[in-house]
Amino acid sequence: MTTLIRLEILRTLRNKRYLMFTVLYPALLYVFFINAYSGGEVAGGVPAKSYFMVSMATFGAVGAVLTGSAQRISLERKSGWTRQLRLTALPGRAYTVGKIASCAVTTLPAIAVVFAIGAVEGVRLGAAQWLGLGLALWLGSFVFAALGVALGYAAQPDAVQPMVMIVYMLMALFGGTWFPVSDSLKAFARFNPVYLYNQLASFTLPGHTLDTVAVAGLAGFLALFVAAAAHLYRQDTKQA
Amino acid sequence: MSSGTELNGGGEVAAFRQVSKSYGPVRAVNGLDLVLRPGETVALLGPNGAGKSSSLDLLLGLREPDRGSVTLFGGTPRAAVQAGRVGAMLQSGGLMGDVKVRELVKFACAVHPRGRGVDEVLRDAGIAGIAERKVDKLSGGQEQRVRFALAVAGAADLIVLDEPTTGMDVSVRQAFWASMRAQADAGRTVLFATHYLEEADSVADRVLVLHRGRLIADGTSAEIKARAGARRITFELHSADGAADVDEQVLRALPGVVALDVTARIEGVRTVRIRSTDADADVAGLYRAGLFPRGLEVTGLGLEQAFLTITGERDAEDAEDVQDAEHTASTEHTGTVKESVR
Repeated sequence: MTTLIRLEILRTLRNKRYLMFTVLYPALLYVFFINAYSGGEVAGGVPAKSYFMVSMATFGAVGAVLTGSAQRISLERKSGWTRQLRLTALPGRAYTVGKIASCAVTTLPAIAVVFAIGAVEGVRLGAAQWLGLGLALWLGSFVFAALGVALGYAAQPDAVQPMVMIVYMLMALFGGTWFPVSDSLKAFARFNPVYLYNQLASFTLPGHTLDTVAVAGLAGFLALFVAAAAHLYRQDTKQA
Repeated sequence: MSSGTELNGGGEVAAFRQVSKSYGPVRAVNGLDLVLRPGETVALLGPNGAGKSSSLDLLLGLREPDRGSVTLFGGTPRAAVQAGRVGAMLQSGGLMGDVKVRELVKFACAVHPRGRGVDEVLRDAGIAGIAERKVDKLSGGQEQRVRFALAVAGAADLIVLDEPTTGMDVSVRQAFWASMRAQADAGRTVLFATHYLEEADSVADRVLVLHRGRLIADGTSAEIKARAGARRITFELHSADGAADVDEQVLRALPGVVALDVTARIEGVRTVRIRSTDADADVAGLYRAGLFPRGLEVTGLGLEQAFLTITGERDAEDAEDVQDAEHTASTEHTGTVKESVR
């Protein structure tokens, strides 16, 4: 199984277009936002450079895992590669584990590049906070990897692409990626995994600790997405 | 690791027992009964939609039968796959992108419980020369050979190939069959589906003909040809030779006649076409009956014609069945035999 996982990671890192999209795109957007706010603050008194460092890191991470898992799984189901894999001695889960592992590897540079720009632009955090924040965002991305796997097994490639884009954009729009979620919308945002994901960073704000409600919410979404993915996977093996 | 010594299930490589599989209203496989024995090279023939791919899917455990059972080496298909006893090349077997040919083959060898050496496999499949190329940049024929490499990445006892030569040009196809014969010579059982009948004729020890999900012929290529009426006899009867009024019954009574067709397009000349399993006796019988056949030709039927004949016969039978059914349905509609039908 490690052979497959290693090969999956290797080929993902080789795919330049994918890396451009997942690493460079959020980094460029981050630079754009810093300049747009010209060193100011967003609503709620958080400096724009700190706020968008987190939201662009999560934006990149979610994009990396959603496209990396959903689109690839759906394409490889269509091409018949998943069928071919079922004729090897590998256990059925090896394929999805490999996909999630390769996603997890690409979220690291997506997060790291945005953090590096943040540090250069003057975001000041302690070493433990940098590390903790990186770890929290990296672990949080697995929730979306599970969602990506579920979407990959849910439909054909031509349908998965728009599905991913719509889900991704809606979650980002109302999850605090482009602007802070207003108080009136916060009641709904609790049911948005991207919002909860962004909330993971709140412990870095003065006087805050880790948002356990967000952690619990994300754990709930993870359980839901894993169950959906497992169900859709089983359905797929019956049909293929 | 040669086959035969460690086989379970009484020397059966694979067995279908009363297997049926439907997709919605379409019955893809219908009551299939079939046993493959060690060391056989078996061709699976059938027109498109005959159920070839579905049968192979069932054999490999990619799908579950609705009814009946499929066993491989006496166990479940999945157990055989996990033990590395089966290698398969699927028609719709996509390949992993963004990797080199060598990396993909190496992966297949590494995960196989009886994995072979990468270089050996690359050579066997005739792809050593393109080993450093990206999988996404291959031609259709090259892709097929990479798929074949995946099928022979380990020392499997059974190799299953679904239309393996599709997309290959003639010379590549010949090289392909040579490497496949080497696999068979190593004692492996080979099952391949194809619609190139000459391949079945020249490669297989045993030919299976599948039609509408049913096995309608099973034998050597020679037996299949014989069953279809292996030779065609054509000649003309001219009334000038005093044979114009010959009764067709005389022709029909000739030994081994499978089909008889008499046309009279020109006045006084009748063209006779006979398909027969015993052409030699028929020609002798013609003269014995006092006939004088003109332009006599005896030609052999290829497997292709035999195949068309066998499936054509089955279509005709099915059409009769349908007519019967329609007839029953119409009488049912009028209400006369409503109760007796069901």
